[in-house]
Amino acid sequence: MFVDITPDESQVGSPTAAAAGGKWRGRLIRAALPMLSVVVFFVVWQIAATTGIWNQTFVPYPSTVWQAFIDVSTTHDGVRGYAGYLLWEHLYMTLRRVLAGVVIGVVAGVLLGLLMGSIGWVRRLLEPWLTFLRALPPLAYFFLLVIWLGIDEAPKITLLALAALPPAAVATTAAVVAAPVGLQEAARALGASRREVIRDVVVPSALPETFTGVRLAVGMAYSSVVAAELFNGIPGIGGLVKDASNYNNTPVVLVGIFAIGISGLIIDGLLRAIERRAVPWRGNI
Amino acid sequence: MKLKTFVAALAATTLAVAGCSVDQPGQEANKPTIRVGYQSFPSGDLIVKNNKWLEDALPDYNIKWTKFDSGADVNTAFIAKELDFGALGSSPVARGLSAPLNIPYKVAFVLDVAGDNEALVARRGTEINAIPDLRGKRIATPFASTAHYSLLAALSQNGLSANDVQLVDLQPQAILAAWERGDIDAAYTWLPTLDQLRKSGADLITSRQLAKDGKPTLDLAAVSDDFASAHPEVVDIWRRQEARALDVIKNDPTAAAKSIAAEIGLSPDDVAGQLKQGVYLTAAEVASPEWLGTDGKPGNIAANLASASQFLADQKQIPSAAPLTTFQQAIYTKGLPGVLSQ
Repeated sequence: MFVDITPDESQVGSPTAAAAGGKWRGRLIRAALPMLSVVVFFVVWQIAATTGIWNQTFVPYPSTVWQAFIDVSTTHDGVRGYAGYLLWEHLYMTLRRVLAGVVIGVVAGVLLGLLMGSIGWVRRLLEPWLTFLRALPPLAYFFLLVIWLGIDEAPKITLLALAALPPAAVATTAAVVAAPVGLQEAARALGASRREVIRDVVVPSALPETFTGVRLAVGMAYSSVVAAELFNGIPGIGGLVKDASNYNNTPVVLVGIFAIGISGLIIDGLLRAIERRAVPWRGNI
Repeated sequence: MKLKTFVAALAATTLAVAGCSVDQPGQEANKPTIRVGYQSFPSGDLIVKNNKWLEDALPDYNIKWTKFDSGADVNTAFIAKELDFGALGSSPVARGLSAPLNIPYKVAFVLDVAGDNEALVARRGTEINAIPDLRGKRIATPFASTAHYSLLAALSQNGLSANDVQLVDLQPQAILAAWERGDIDAAYTWLPTLDQLRKSGADLITSRQLAKDGKPTLDLAAVSDDFASAHPEVVDIWRRQEARALDVIKNDPTAAAKSIAAEIGLSPDDVAGQLKQGVYLTAAEVASPEWLGTDGKPGNIAANLASASQFLADQKQIPSAAPLTTFQQAIYTKGLPGVLSQ
């Protein structure tokens, strides 16, 4: 899951006190810190592997993992990547499934959230079901999806959609309920209809929180990819991780984990950028 | 005030829950513990466990049984030094003994040999009557299992490779679902799923036939090197119990089925049917040159494992196959065959 653990960069530091030099130094530190943590991580990893306290299966050398990355990404000795597909092909298939699942889940979730937020009896009717779905680990019901929907794309995309729906729905509901009553009443007093109030007051004030819900939804879907690709998951990055772990092939498992984690970071970064463009009024209402 | 009460209640609950766990009875702190990993395929292991033979024969030890779902998990537990004995298929053993894992364990017993309980079946109505007809068809099998190994062996016997068919990685229960829905044309899997597939399909080849053709798959029991050198007498007692269980399977299949059924939650009749389809050796056969061999003369199992290792290397799951001598050194033949019948 990708949760906002750092405040938006625009809000960090006090812009009034920043002279030009200080500003640059601040930026440099902000860029250097994550880099430094990565370097420290690799040094600790290398030391841990060199000491040989742990078996190679638990802590392989960084170079072994790098070699596995090269092997999985290229055609070598007549073998194409891992299980006949290159790393980017595994990743592409997974991203396609996640995209389809998230679009379905988020659209359904946001619509549901709007309904539940604005109509009281719908909320009371659906909230237990939503909580029920949210409490289920995807692995628990994936087998049922296989029975109902087969072994191809349908059960995987359904699983990802089901994982993405609750966070989007819950966040939207909460945001709509929390839309400032004063503004709504003011708009009413100025002659707006119920529909106009929802369109011009409720939705804009709910959008920032809805976006957080969307980011959470993407995170939930992304963390379910290994479960979704448990059956017939190749090509797919989750299927690759599962298959390699069946053979105790730790280096390839780590390559898969890094691929999932790094692509997750990139996706979250993109979503944040979209959020800043789409709801510039965030934090200002 | 309210918050304080809440925090206190939370702390009390955490302590209470941490204090009581659901653990197996009969673990005494002052005795050393033997850790045994087992799997739920029908074998003598389950008879030994169900009748508490190991507990009775080794009163000075705690016996801790842990259930595993796959050989890969058993390998991981051995690497972590969390197991003394473990049951796993020949394919995971071959992987464990090859580089880079090089797990320090030895094959000390043959639990069973796959017979008609693992087979390649084709669905009726697909017009697949022999293995060559499988070209271009969709075949499901659990990857990294003995069935996966047997499937590729059966294909290569008929001049087909993995690229000539569409292989699908499915666990047995999912194979059944996909089969019923018509998503797959054939499957290589094991009982009890296999019997359900046979209702609407026909065998193309079974593991019994493949064993005759020199590609047997086995369920083995391994013992860690550390444990075997520290407690050889315990390994002897353990092997005698396993041999006793094989006797029961051979001479009193009803009692064997009853014990196994109690462990895996099937009916004794179902288990009896499964036992008939597997190949269970006698203690004398286990210690014959065809399988484990005798003290100082490791048997043919080493060659089977070397061939499984070559298979893994062909699959690019290990960098290269380990030599035959590696596997010969990893067969625990100490005291065979006499030790089994004492």
